[in-house]
Amino acid sequence: MQAFRAYLWFLARRLGLTLLTLWGLASLVFLMIKLMPGDEAQMAAGADASAVQIELVRERLGLDAPVIIQYLSFLVRLLHGDLGTSIVTLQPVLADLEKVLPNTLELVFIAMALNLAIAIPAGIVAAYRHGGMFDMGSRVAAVMLGGMPAFWLALVLQYVLGSVWRLVPISGQHGFGMSSPMVTGAPTLDALIAGNFEGVLDALYHIILPAAVLAALFSTQVFRTLRAALLGVLRSDFIMAVRAKGATARHMLVHHALPNSLNPVLMLSGMQVGTMIGSAVLVETIFARQGIGAYMFNAVAQKDVFAVLGSVIFTGTVVCLVNLIVDLLQLLVDPRIRAAQLGSQTR
Amino acid sequence: MTVPVALQPTTVGHKGGPTLLETVVCTLVVALLAIAIFGPLFAPGNLFRSDIANSLMPPSATNWLGTDDQGRDVLWRLIVGAQTTLLSAFLVVTLYSLIGVAIATASAAGPRWLDEGLMRITDIGLALPSMIVALGFASAMGPSLRSAVIAMAITGWPLTARMLRGIMRQTMEQPFVAGAEVLGVSKWRLMTKHVLPNSLDVMIVKWAGDIGTTVLVLASLSFIGVGAQPPSAEWGATIAAARGYVSTAWWTVVAPGAAVALTSIAFGLLGDIIQVRRDPSLRGN
Repeated sequence: MQAFRAYLWFLARRLGLTLLTLWGLASLVFLMIKLMPGDEAQMAAGADASAVQIELVRERLGLDAPVIIQYLSFLVRLLHGDLGTSIVTLQPVLADLEKVLPNTLELVFIAMALNLAIAIPAGIVAAYRHGGMFDMGSRVAAVMLGGMPAFWLALVLQYVLGSVWRLVPISGQHGFGMSSPMVTGAPTLDALIAGNFEGVLDALYHIILPAAVLAALFSTQVFRTLRAALLGVLRSDFIMAVRAKGATARHMLVHHALPNSLNPVLMLSGMQVGTMIGSAVLVETIFARQGIGAYMFNAVAQKDVFAVLGSVIFTGTVVCLVNLIVDLLQLLVDPRIRAAQLGSQTR
Repeated sequence: MTVPVALQPTTVGHKGGPTLLETVVCTLVVALLAIAIFGPLFAPGNLFRSDIANSLMPPSATNWLGTDDQGRDVLWRLIVGAQTTLLSAFLVVTLYSLIGVAIATASAAGPRWLDEGLMRITDIGLALPSMIVALGFASAMGPSLRSAVIAMAITGWPLTARMLRGIMRQTMEQPFVAGAEVLGVSKWRLMTKHVLPNSLDVMIVKWAGDIGTTVLVLASLSFIGVGAQPPSAEWGATIAAARGYVSTAWWTVVAPGAAVALTSIAFGLLGDIIQVRRDPSLRGN
């Protein structure tokens, strides 16, 4: 009963923080709109709007009302899903972004899987052979990768692996004639739904490089965290006891050391999902994938400020919700995180 | 006065002198700073003028890193860009550190409601993707290097505020603070002259490392198009401008990106080194 109450209390706090964050995000974007140089109605109506049109827009957006009323009506419009209208496509920003979101999420999902698939084995070997060649080499690699700009690594690998060695496609999300009917907007998933096996492979073939770039950059943090945690655990007494009982190194690592070191890795990778969405925005544009990043990039290039700000709200909201889901999942999956979170709430 | 050898403080496994890594990193940082400060003084005058006849020339004896699509020397533009890039990064870190220090101090010294309020605002700041929010601010203020710097200052402070508040709270538990209070030192003086100076050393490590990440984010913003605009020699803007030439003239893209990577790695490692120097138990991790 006590535990249940602590659980509910945590849930309420976490949901409250999410709502607070979303409100903060909305307020920041309102501040951005007010910071724009020039007449807001003029900007919203577009460069070649007539005086009458500008007045109409001013009236529709309620721009002659006091700022506080404007702010409240801005929040109300957001609650109704109105993230503004693009002055280039004249489409509501939300409708455009909803279509491209699954594409970005697919990229982040595959990149996250690759990230863990690279970093966890590397971290285990580096910690087990502490001070050895592999440890040194992978630590140097982690430092180097950690300092590289994502978009630059993407450009260079695209050139080397795509144009020079022709190992992977340079850009795009499927080969010629390989596209499946759009259901979700995520290329691999769509091909799967269409039962197009070749299409799935083709989509994966196109996503592998962008996903690998993101994974390489983010795996440096996971690697460092896991290595440090494992080093601590490997020095502890219970590991000595396990070894004294004659367990093989493999058994000791997989069944004793690793489970006790994964906690910080889980926490970190949960936080990474949100950050990765931000980096995906950069990497996507380089590989001409039709995700949120491509939309933002075009909006910036076309000086479509309302589309940019709409995508800021949208991306920020997606990151907040993803973080919320990850936190709740971790709570369900890992009893130690559960104990830590709930314990700190009841204290 | 000489201290007997046995009484000299020793650190385990460390013989006092700088290690190879420390020497390399410190030399690199000093070199980068020297290039950024003095390099542009020696730059030839034609860096922003195009010379189409000499465009996209590969590295040679006259142009060590080749020329870009406008026929400008890539190396000299990197050197001039170093000043723009590093100066902007320093400005960003200084600005958000000041905001962070102000918020942390108010939070640590102020009444409970102020602390709660400021820390909830900090929570919001930490939960939002800072690069995306900075992108929004810079785009709204009109894309320029100045907008990007302001945008990053507005979005960069939360981690500093959160960490420093915690440290200041710990410092305030120390006996010398209670002593100062007993002596009737005013709250303002207590915070600024006693608590803050005794809490800052951890933050200085963080800020040194932050220069590296700031260079990265600044380059990203310029690359998207909301930061420095062409013909600026800022590194991110240079990569963005050269993007289309990667297959015909790889050096135009590789050189500025390598500069960003080198700078960010050097300052990141500098942060780590200062930290290990302060706390040798971290060595090896």
